[in-house]
Amino acid sequence: MCGIAGILYKKKGGPGGRNVGAGQALIDMLDGCQHRGPDSTGFALYREDTSGILRLRFFIGEGPEAIAAKTTIHKTLADHGATVVEEHDEGTTVTLRVNYGGDIQELSYALEHAAKLMSVGASLDIIKDIGTAHDVDDIYAVRDFQGTHGLGHVRLATESDVKPEAAHPFWATGFSDIAIVHNGQITNYWKMRRRLERRGYQFHTDNDSELIAVYLADKLKTGTVLNDALKESIDDLDGTFSFLVSTKDEIGYAKDRLAVKPMVKYEDDDIIAIASEEVSLNRLFPGQPLNTMEPPPGTFQTWHR
Amino acid sequence: MAQIDLSDISVTDANIRIRELGEAGENIEVLNPDARHHIGVGLTAPVTVHVKGSAGYFCAGLTDTPNFVVENNVGWGLADNMLQGSVVVKGNAGAIAGVAIRGAEVVIHGNMGSRAGQVMKEGTLLCGGNANFMAGYMMYGGRIIILGDSGAKIGEDMTSGNIYVAGKVDDLGSDAMLIDLPADERDDILAFLDKYELKAPKSFQKIVNAGTKLRYGTAEPQMRPMPFFEFSGKSDYWNTKVQEDIHIKAHTGRYRIRGYGGARSLPHLSDIAFRKDLSGAANEPDPVSKVEMRTEIGGINGANPLKISMPIMVAPMSYGALSRSTKQAIGIASGLSDIAENTGEGGMSDAQRDAASQLIFQCLGGRLGWNIHDMKRADGLEIYISQGAKPGLGGQLMAKKVTPELAKIRGIPHGIDLRSPSRHPDILGADDLVIKIEEFREATGYKLPVSVKLGAGRVRDDIKIAVKDGFDFVELDGMQGSTGAGSAEVLEFVGIPTLAAIVEAEEALAEIGRRQDIQLILMGGLRDGIDAVKALCLGADAAAFGTSAIIAGGCIACMQCHVGQCVTGIATQDPEHEKRYQPLVEAQNIHRFFESVRWQVAALAHAMGHTSVTQFSRDDLVALTPEAAAITGLPYEPEYRNQIPEALKMQKVG
Repeated sequence: MCGIAGILYKKKGGPGGRNVGAGQALIDMLDGCQHRGPDSTGFALYREDTSGILRLRFFIGEGPEAIAAKTTIHKTLADHGATVVEEHDEGTTVTLRVNYGGDIQELSYALEHAAKLMSVGASLDIIKDIGTAHDVDDIYAVRDFQGTHGLGHVRLATESDVKPEAAHPFWATGFSDIAIVHNGQITNYWKMRRRLERRGYQFHTDNDSELIAVYLADKLKTGTVLNDALKESIDDLDGTFSFLVSTKDEIGYAKDRLAVKPMVKYEDDDIIAIASEEVSLNRLFPGQPLNTMEPPPGTFQTWHR
Repeated sequence: MAQIDLSDISVTDANIRIRELGEAGENIEVLNPDARHHIGVGLTAPVTVHVKGSAGYFCAGLTDTPNFVVENNVGWGLADNMLQGSVVVKGNAGAIAGVAIRGAEVVIHGNMGSRAGQVMKEGTLLCGGNANFMAGYMMYGGRIIILGDSGAKIGEDMTSGNIYVAGKVDDLGSDAMLIDLPADERDDILAFLDKYELKAPKSFQKIVNAGTKLRYGTAEPQMRPMPFFEFSGKSDYWNTKVQEDIHIKAHTGRYRIRGYGGARSLPHLSDIAFRKDLSGAANEPDPVSKVEMRTEIGGINGANPLKISMPIMVAPMSYGALSRSTKQAIGIASGLSDIAENTGEGGMSDAQRDAASQLIFQCLGGRLGWNIHDMKRADGLEIYISQGAKPGLGGQLMAKKVTPELAKIRGIPHGIDLRSPSRHPDILGADDLVIKIEEFREATGYKLPVSVKLGAGRVRDDIKIAVKDGFDFVELDGMQGSTGAGSAEVLEFVGIPTLAAIVEAEEALAEIGRRQDIQLILMGGLRDGIDAVKALCLGADAAAFGTSAIIAGGCIACMQCHVGQCVTGIATQDPEHEKRYQPLVEAQNIHRFFESVRWQVAALAHAMGHTSVTQFSRDDLVALTPEAAAITGLPYEPEYRNQIPEALKMQKVG
């Protein structure tokens, strides 16, 4: 119930060398397909990679709720030997940068239980809130993001409430730096989830996008490269889907065998951009005809930065 | 040549301008289209529209006679339901290019996306490059020419028409087969290529329907119907009814098909009653004059509402399931009672349009009878998602009823067992649905209400999607709703009862605080004004009658609607049988039935102390059974069982 977008800059400057940052490019793409999802908008951005220091973003709400949430977050971090280097409130969220050398999965599961964790990574930062791409940008200054790649999502809330924490993208709970945006419905959700849960993974939501993220993260953890993980996902996941996945260095897509969910891609020497609709891609090149392509059903592909 | 720059004005304003220029016979250039949706929809003039760039979804959709040229790519649903005219796309096309075209020539120089030509009826769809997955899926006629490779599952479940492929054909769809190309058809193709200045390839392969799935195998034996369990005479486990069912399945080897609704006893409106003392209800000689009954439906988002004389409508029923005379009689009756009529699936007839004062035009997945001209003369547009009798399944119309005349209106071959698609080509999620609704609104200038017909299944989720997607009203159909033909198991055992459906819908809307943003029409086994009032008390803005209206017009409830030999001339397309039906007489009977409903609604409202039909509420009701109490949350008070005074009960019609 949504629109998705992803972009990777192969060269500095971005689309047509126009010097548009990747944050602004994603805002433009999502604004182009906002009709697919007016309720909430989200971004997965890959900021400067500072190894050894983890970036965490939490949804904390406002007023007393926010103060209570922060107290819990600090206690949990302290309990796990993570020290806070930097802390920054933004909208209804707080971003923390912490020194932490332990097991990321253990820390993030503990944080998930304590608070509403939105993303974890050496460079991943997920920003999502209710409202349009421009509404979210007004609060979180997504336009200032100058990195090499990122994903975006607009959501039409149908089955769950309009809440910032129910917005997309989703991160792979327990794994750093993996994010997903997905349009569709995974029908063997519970079967796949139980399979992963038996292997010790925890799920924070009942959302099928989170399942895809954890499924792929598990593959990557066990040594599969992203391209092969996507190939296997087409066999393993049942249902209708068009999704985009990103890691610190790559973005990729996979599309189900029934070609039910839309996806259009555009690639040149400067960028690769993928979106639900061409109207988003045209936003990157106003007034210019583009040589776009609809990926065939049952296909996948990845790009390195 | 007039110019319209989409970097200056909205698509909505552009489309109004395009139609004005079309009326004036002026050709048009659209600048900076930037893949925006709905460019040129609703245009019915033979002018040229030159789109100088890429277009989005439904470019040239719902049009008749224009010629479009698109310089670059197009999104989903190119030339959707285009009647006559042409579209040339110089780049690639997204999924379902040429969907449901009825005569148009659609030429794509590049590649085309999945399911191109789905449910197309007539005309030519040409792809200069490669086709993606399932080209020609469920096509009913016309031809698809592919100069490149075919893609997987080509011709999947095509009913008729021809597909020609110059490149590789690796994978045929279900019920499709390859045959040799006749010489005269080759000449036709070459002439077409020449017309659009395209290079002719060396050779073509031809793909047609293989004919293995168009008719059911062994026909179901016709025998004296025993539709109800209760009719079996004995209550033992292997009773006559059960034996009959097994015998028929032993003969045909498949599920059984029949008409009408379920025969099982389910919690229903008869399991709730009115709390107030209504013994004086019949004392007022003219209750209709005492109660405000006029109702407006569909205006909440700014469209022109349906204005009806009471909160009552006719449920959607197709010309196809019913005879033309029956649809005419219902149309006349709805006009006489000044309520809204609905075309159902099979298109709109002039007689029906003329007779009905308010007419809703229904759009189904097969787009059978759907077209821009009838959209423009409708009073409301409706997207059918499913119906209460068989939620999630498409319609069935047995060969006996698919006469040449009926087939022509629907744009399908005659004499097939028609199984209408269960889903729309272009509505595969709530996000696509938003764009589809907007296409209808763009094409008709945002004047008409757009509604959705929902069979009760996942009501809670479906209703939320309906309101989020901006429908003006919902026609919610419970499990007790009837059908012209459906599998017996589905009729009896699939769905959510009408009573539960309205309660779930109200709860879902309350949950998201959006009750004021949509109107609800309840249907599914409503039998009289008393049922209608209960529906209104439970929250419905209006109630709709289908089966009751047919019975008022002479139906004998034999449940053999699917056979096509209806003895009353109602559920038949056989002219000999239809002769028995006297539409002008039956129109009066149906009209009188609606007037009895009007009187009952008014008398009940008056007796409850209401002065308007908008004052009914849940507080007026109690539940008579523990099941109804559990479903509705109403207090369980069985002692109200005999509360309805004799004088208010349904009178025999006539």
